[in-house]
Amino acid sequence: MTDVVFRLLRTPQGAMGLVILVLIAAICAIGPDIAPVDPEKIDFLGRFRVPGAAHPFGADQLGRDVLSRLLAGARTTVPMAVAATLLGTLSGAVIGTVSAYLGGRWDEAIMRTIDAVMAIPGLLMALLVVNTLGKGSLNATLAIAVAFAPGMARVTRSVSLAARRQDYVSAAIARGEGGAWIVFREMLPNVVAPVVIETTIRVAFAVALFATLSFLGLGAQPPASDWGLMVAEARPFLHQAPWMLVAPGAAIALTAIGFNLLGDGLRDALNPRDER
Amino acid sequence: MSASWLIRRILLIAYTLLVVSLLVFGITQVLPADAAVMLLGENATPAALAAVRAKLGLGDPAWLQYWHWLAALLRGDFGMSMRTGQPVGPTMLVALSRSLLLAALALALMLVFAVPLGLAAALRRGKPIDLAAGIVSYLGVSLPEFVTATLLLLLLADRLHWLPATGYVPLTDNPVDGLRHLGLPVLTVSLVLIAHVSRMVRSETIDVLHSDYIRAARLKGLSPRRVLFGHAVRNALLPVITIVALDVGYLLGGIIVVEEIFAIPGIGRQLIVAIESRDLPAIQAGALIMAATYAIANFLADIAYALLDKRIRYD
Amino acid sequence: MIHLHPTRRGVLAAGAAATMLPWAARAQTAAPKRGGTLRISVDQAVGVLNPLLTRVNPEYLVAELLYSGLTRLAPDMSAEPDLAQSWAGNAELTEWIFKLRPGVTFHDGSACTAKDVVASFTAILDPKTASPGRNNVGPVAQVTAVDDTTVRFTLKAAFADLPVTLAYTNAKIVPAALVASGLERLSRSAVGTGPFKLVSYEPDRQVVVARNDAFYDPARPYVDRVEVVVYPDATAEASALISGDTDLMSAAAASEFARLSSSDGVTALRVPSGQFLNINMGCDKKPFSDVRLRQALALTVDREAMVGFVAQGYGTPGNDTPINPAYRFYEALPLRPAQIAQAKTLLAQAGFPDGIDLTLVASDTPATRTQLGIAVREMAKPAGFRIDVQTMPHATYLDQVWKKGSFYVGFYNMQATADAIFSLLYTSDAAWNETRWNFPEFDRLVDEARVTTDEAKRRTLYGQAQTLMHDQVPSVIPVFFDLLAAQRSYVQGYKLHPRGAVFRLDWVWLGTGAPKRS
Repeated sequence: MTDVVFRLLRTPQGAMGLVILVLIAAICAIGPDIAPVDPEKIDFLGRFRVPGAAHPFGADQLGRDVLSRLLAGARTTVPMAVAATLLGTLSGAVIGTVSAYLGGRWDEAIMRTIDAVMAIPGLLMALLVVNTLGKGSLNATLAIAVAFAPGMARVTRSVSLAARRQDYVSAAIARGEGGAWIVFREMLPNVVAPVVIETTIRVAFAVALFATLSFLGLGAQPPASDWGLMVAEARPFLHQAPWMLVAPGAAIALTAIGFNLLGDGLRDALNPRDER
Repeated sequence: MSASWLIRRILLIAYTLLVVSLLVFGITQVLPADAAVMLLGENATPAALAAVRAKLGLGDPAWLQYWHWLAALLRGDFGMSMRTGQPVGPTMLVALSRSLLLAALALALMLVFAVPLGLAAALRRGKPIDLAAGIVSYLGVSLPEFVTATLLLLLLADRLHWLPATGYVPLTDNPVDGLRHLGLPVLTVSLVLIAHVSRMVRSETIDVLHSDYIRAARLKGLSPRRVLFGHAVRNALLPVITIVALDVGYLLGGIIVVEEIFAIPGIGRQLIVAIESRDLPAIQAGALIMAATYAIANFLADIAYALLDKRIRYD
Repeated sequence: MIHLHPTRRGVLAAGAAATMLPWAARAQTAAPKRGGTLRISVDQAVGVLNPLLTRVNPEYLVAELLYSGLTRLAPDMSAEPDLAQSWAGNAELTEWIFKLRPGVTFHDGSACTAKDVVASFTAILDPKTASPGRNNVGPVAQVTAVDDTTVRFTLKAAFADLPVTLAYTNAKIVPAALVASGLERLSRSAVGTGPFKLVSYEPDRQVVVARNDAFYDPARPYVDRVEVVVYPDATAEASALISGDTDLMSAAAASEFARLSSSDGVTALRVPSGQFLNINMGCDKKPFSDVRLRQALALTVDREAMVGFVAQGYGTPGNDTPINPAYRFYEALPLRPAQIAQAKTLLAQAGFPDGIDLTLVASDTPATRTQLGIAVREMAKPAGFRIDVQTMPHATYLDQVWKKGSFYVGFYNMQATADAIFSLLYTSDAAWNETRWNFPEFDRLVDEARVTTDEAKRRTLYGQAQTLMHDQVPSVIPVFFDLLAAQRSYVQGYKLHPRGAVFRLDWVWLGTGAPKRS
């Protein structure tokens, strides 16, 4: 484990990604406490105030401090994206591993159906699910998880198939272990590395997708200071107060970049054969 | 590519569409509120709701609705929009043609930029060009389309006046104006593609350059240039085809947002409107057409892959 | 034989020139030029073409181009002739006679007669048609054709405003033959008597209409062709006007107004309107059945500030009645100031000395509902109101909260008359009785005004009704919106109508500098 971290830090992407993500994790942890003012405090005279001493990132249409909202919003934005990805990964991984374990016709049927579901674009799937469950952060999280599950199932299955042919699985079958035991104790752990990489990169997607859902009015709801929602709320005032859009837009981009870098770093760190 | 392989693939596409139609139909059944509520809004008295539901056939049991829909579809009829009373099929196909134009232009732009960028980055690893390509690609894959779109609109349309802000002009009305109006949406969509594909080209090229047979070719005394363009590029491009086919899925999703922002009456916007207004036939038709586009794109990618692969084996 | 008693309105309308004066006066500055294509942008799809079923402004706009009603709503909210040339009610105001223009034809060449008027209104009033007009055209019991050009409206109750309510957006005249065949055809084609004929219809992109040469007024319309273009994005729509892609935008977002105002060649348009947001309180249940609680909430709201927060300054403060200066019978009461200390006292008297927890529901359409909710939550905090703002999709709101809930944000367009808005929302028999205020004295005042023709007496009655609402606060009405729009400077004859749903594009013409559009 420490070995992996060490190798990760040696890759430039991994090091940079880690730095960015530690920063963002810190904001998630203490952001609301270090916010200069109450992120929901409205100020009639301070509407659309340009960035300056009072408001480093300016103020919005209700005179709320953009920096404070950004700091408070990290907690709803980033953990939601991570949770959505983990949920999608977990369910996808279970489906994929089970499919690989069952093999034969079952595998064929499951995978062809997964392929079919993947023919629905992720955003469309998320739109349908959110409309069904109702708007809100939690439902957007579930929607993203549903949209991610088929892709993750496919990734997990291909690595599981490789794992299934390994000796230790044959050994477990020969020992007469039950199916569930084999799947969870023998196969899943061995597919972890590729899945971790894929998951990390998908968090970046999830951040963007979550923001997109909020932008379309389907994710977090006002007065939340979710970053995607902040961009959506800022968009009508694009010409009047561009800073309202730039700050949360940059925060979303930075988070996504952080996860992308970390994913690439992990890929290098976990694949030692490939000394790039 | 045997006949049985082709038949199998076509059957798989049919299965895909069946699964998609069942899944989407299932979801539409549990959507809160129905087309009648959306049509009537504040004027939804119980009598009016009942009248509209009867007219739209929303009173039938779900399985019967699905059966009616499927039977009509097999006759080539997508049904009537519950929102506008227009036939859904023609509306969606016209919308699809606009989206495909947007997608094709974005793909073309991507190929023009992504492949050279990826190759250059791979060959000049660690040099400024690699770094620049890296930054562009990280930004491209990380920025959501609605942010990119808004920034491009602010810069290229409002500040520099290079491109019209939005709107859609059919190419048949005025080809030049039509293309100019597609400028911003195409740029927005292709930025993400360029980012994604150039990264893939870079890493594939690096993999290939390190592979044994390239080393062998080098040992045989072939010039680096010949090695690169004779073997490495072609081998590196193979997975790119798969990536592009998979990106069609992204492309179709990205188009939903881009069309919404730039007011392009394509299939993505039709779908958003259809979902909002609970227009079941339109949701079904839109989702099916998107899924079919994706399935066919993957089918074509497989064929292309097989063809290219054969040539490589002949080498 | 009915004794025809010409009312004030009837007399005015009988001489068509009188009501058209403001238009005529403006037109004299330059003679209207005929010809050209007008490209107007709208912010939503024109999803419904059938004029009896239209629901949103872009649909009203298109219906108005293609169809005529009996009367039209002038910018001063009075009725002016459309297909009806003159009208008069009996002394009791329970029966009205409308005389139609002779020789009017539909777009398909068939004659438009009293028979078509009867068929159209029968369809509007039939619940199976599900026309929004059913609740809004007035208390009509029966419509009969006296002869080819005379129609009689028999009412359920006396009603002075009938000529105005018959100008309602959905009260358009369609051919009797199409009514008989089920109106299906009208969702794809248009057969009206309006100034333009339908050329092409693509709901989410563009509707094109061309001059109807057989229109009853030989002078109008002035332009040959109108293209209605759909822009779902407010920023994009404004950019299109600024770049000259469009000539006129039917509604501008407040956030775009400053940019439009400062653009070359663009004239920004603004008119005060009776469109408002309110906070509805269920007066039939605790805690809002206590008037002191309602008054306490009303006293926390800084109304001038609210105009800034919610309407970006493009609006006027509200005084807890739905009538503002844009209406004819507005009563100027002193604006309620924000008084937190007094609000606290009232809240304590109402039984909440430690403050009160409330959940305010705001639908997501339009977004200003949520803005209002957030602003009220912050303004009411110091007085002890702990308000949780809950947003939800409009469909869910309509289905579960609207008219049923006891604390939610409402949004309403200006109506043509004081009676229309009162009896839509606040009387005990209101079609949308949101607050269940059910105050007999208020009902009596509105009922009496409805059957009164004397202007001064009506003003007194409506004044009393407004004072009563201001004191009782069935809903907090903190802000009225100005309607905003914009046009290229060469567009002539367009007047932004305070009702919001009326456009009158047949009066528009293109002056010098207009681009040639093919």
